[in-house]
Amino acid sequence: MNNQAIVSARDIRKIYGHKGEKQYEALKGITFDVKAGEFVGIMGASGSGKTTLLNILTTLDQPTQGTVEINGQDITSLKGNAVADFRAKEIGFIFQDFNLLENLTNSENIALPLSLQNVAAAEIKPQIEKLAKQLSITGILDKYPNEISGGQKQRVAAARALVSQPAILFGDEPTGALDSSSTTDLLEMLNEVNQQQNVPILMVTHDPLSASYCQRILFIQDGKIGQELKRGGQTRKQFYKQIIDDLGAFQGQEAD
Amino acid sequence: MLRKLAFTGIKSRLRDYLVLFTGLVISSAVFYMFEALATNPQFLKNSTNGMSAASFIFQFGSVLLTIISLVYIFYANSFLLSMRQHDYGIFMMLGAKPTKIGRLILTETLVIGALSSVIGVVVGCLLTASLGSYLMQSILQTNVANFHAVHVPAILVTLVLYLVLFVIAGFINRRKLIKTPVLGLLKGDSQPNRAKLKPVSQFIQVVLGIGLLAVGYYVMKHFIDFQLASIPLALVTIVFGSYLLFNAVFVWLVVLLKKTKWAQRGINNFTLSQLDFRIRNYTKILATVSILFALALGAITVGMGFGKETDLFTQGSSGYTMALEDPSAAVKKQVNKLDTEKKVSYSEKQSKDTVYYVKEEFDRIPLQDVSDNWMKKMSKGKKAKISYQSFDGQKLQKNPGSLYYLQKNGSDKTVKIISQSEFAKIQAPRQQLYLFRVKNIEKSKKSLDKIVKTAYPKNYETIRSTIPGGYAGYLNGLEVFGGFEFMGFFLGIAFLAMLASCLMFKILSGANSDKHRYEMLNKLGVRKNTLRRSISREIMTLYALPGVLGIVHVLFGLQLFKTLLISPYQGIWLPFVIFIVLYLLYYLVTVKLYESIVLPAVEIDK
Repeated sequence: MNNQAIVSARDIRKIYGHKGEKQYEALKGITFDVKAGEFVGIMGASGSGKTTLLNILTTLDQPTQGTVEINGQDITSLKGNAVADFRAKEIGFIFQDFNLLENLTNSENIALPLSLQNVAAAEIKPQIEKLAKQLSITGILDKYPNEISGGQKQRVAAARALVSQPAILFGDEPTGALDSSSTTDLLEMLNEVNQQQNVPILMVTHDPLSASYCQRILFIQDGKIGQELKRGGQTRKQFYKQIIDDLGAFQGQEAD
Repeated sequence: MLRKLAFTGIKSRLRDYLVLFTGLVISSAVFYMFEALATNPQFLKNSTNGMSAASFIFQFGSVLLTIISLVYIFYANSFLLSMRQHDYGIFMMLGAKPTKIGRLILTETLVIGALSSVIGVVVGCLLTASLGSYLMQSILQTNVANFHAVHVPAILVTLVLYLVLFVIAGFINRRKLIKTPVLGLLKGDSQPNRAKLKPVSQFIQVVLGIGLLAVGYYVMKHFIDFQLASIPLALVTIVFGSYLLFNAVFVWLVVLLKKTKWAQRGINNFTLSQLDFRIRNYTKILATVSILFALALGAITVGMGFGKETDLFTQGSSGYTMALEDPSAAVKKQVNKLDTEKKVSYSEKQSKDTVYYVKEEFDRIPLQDVSDNWMKKMSKGKKAKISYQSFDGQKLQKNPGSLYYLQKNGSDKTVKIISQSEFAKIQAPRQQLYLFRVKNIEKSKKSLDKIVKTAYPKNYETIRSTIPGGYAGYLNGLEVFGGFEFMGFFLGIAFLAMLASCLMFKILSGANSDKHRYEMLNKLGVRKNTLRRSISREIMTLYALPGVLGIVHVLFGLQLFKTLLISPYQGIWLPFVIFIVLYLLYYLVTVKLYESIVLPAVEIDK
């Protein structure tokens, strides 16, 4: 594993509301890196600024101040089509509510990012088949999203996020809508992707179990990074316990 | 509280309401305008005998207009409901009683209906005063000096009809709302219903659809063989054929297209899937639109065809513009001022039951009449310059028909052509039959009218349209054909406005449930231009399919008018172009509105 930073965020601020109006500062200067091959979690209470941060990292929103570099490219200076192309090529995205297009079959959903880059149909097919085998969704490729379970939907969404071989995979509460066994399945799968293919993952979550799969966790509080937890040499179970304890301390402190 | 909530709901979607409202105002304004023209006694009294036929035509037109208004209001209302159902779902989730919500939607529908009808009538009055009288003057050439735009019976008919329609629509909305479970209201129709394709029934439908259309077209083409049965037969086969075409043929085409390589590029596959989903849900409206499209375009084409017919009718009705008996010097002076092609006078003597003419005079200057060859050519749809054939004395002796038609109206005297010497022996005053032909009746209209006034100052009004010659033919033609042209044009535009709005409302009604799909695509990194292209292609197809089918319907439908019109296909490009331009405008408005609903905005606050 090299130490090159895939994501580097510097002093990100986000202020809502126009000048002269009542303004609200959602992010108050956030700085962090995600290194190649890392699996990083972002935790925080509702309203702490997690979603705002993720939207900025994924170019869905722009920061009021600060810069974000992903894979060596300053994404805050991108405009128009370049933003869309960046999203299509450089990042993969898994959402809590899957965001599959229900009018396309699962395999068509997975093919979409490649079709957008005008990859020939003949090349797309083997790639989908390979990914499907890896994620065990071969049997449901020709079905529609409303015909499969939540866990399967999230696997399809993961396949769609990975098919364009992105520089980084973002997750927005990817296990939020799943039952416990599907949650474990999905996390094991993400872990595998991270370990075997060396794809860095940045995941926003408030579920300690999901977080325990990460190597590093950033706690966000009131728009700032409050605390950082590292798994180090701990087993996942130990790390899980540490997260629970720290979360308790962290939130207790908040309640004071 | 609920009332306040309902009101803020409306405010937040003001633009959509504005579209709905404008559509409803236009619909009632057009209806009022039509009624005001069709039932205005001043208009009917003012016109001559031919007008009662026009009045009948107008009544028939207003029945058609009522039917289309009905369809239109129902689509507009389903759009209204789709805008409100989420809000109402929230109210119900918060514990509002269904009866109360029902009352709310009923009130809302009625308020919007009443308001738009009243404004529509006011707009209609203004339109009638300006556009209506202009159209009447330019097409019908009627004197509309004492024509009033504000006509109480028409106001009442419009208001009563629209209110009744809105009450019915309100109750339908209320019923739909109360019957739908709260979750259904909140989630809307986000789940596309994907009926599985059954290959066998699909195939049967494809064959049946094309077959029915073929039968319908065949019947229209062979109108004469099937007589009166052809119209209901064609109507039924074409309506069902269109329906099946959308239900099976187009769905099948989309499925085939999805298998091509083209579908694998960009978001083409998504566009096709959207279309697939739409066409299955839109079968009824697309079939309806294609039929209405055909009716509207047909009305304009046939209307304009009738307008052209006036010229042919005028030219073909007589060899001369006017035949005057013993015109005074003053009249002749006026005729001399005209741009005439031909001027001739023949001597005549009248006994109790016969009019005598001199054979030698016709040998010197033969009488002219429209040539049979020209009539034949025109009825075959060939464009030909009018030609005349000459009748000398001998020909007229054998067949004095052409001369007979130039006798004073109501005369039942026989016409006899005799030699100069015989003519001299007849004991009667020598009179003169004065004939002339102008180059262009329409251009000389005013002078011709003056001539009639000078020649027959007493009963000019009735003589005007009965005086032998092309001029009376022109006036009669205007009243009948002009009436058809006016109505065809008016109905065509009104139909178009409403059918295109129906389609627009249907598409926009679904926009809210499409919104999240475009948001997802945006998150996946689809360029905005690509999304725009996909939207415009999708909506283009939805507009084009019924449009193209409608055009085909019209091209075959014009066969029906072969017996009524001399050449129904001549110059049809003009109404087609006018129509397509207007239809395109609706398409563009729909695309813009749809984009404004579904395309996500990028938030940049720096």
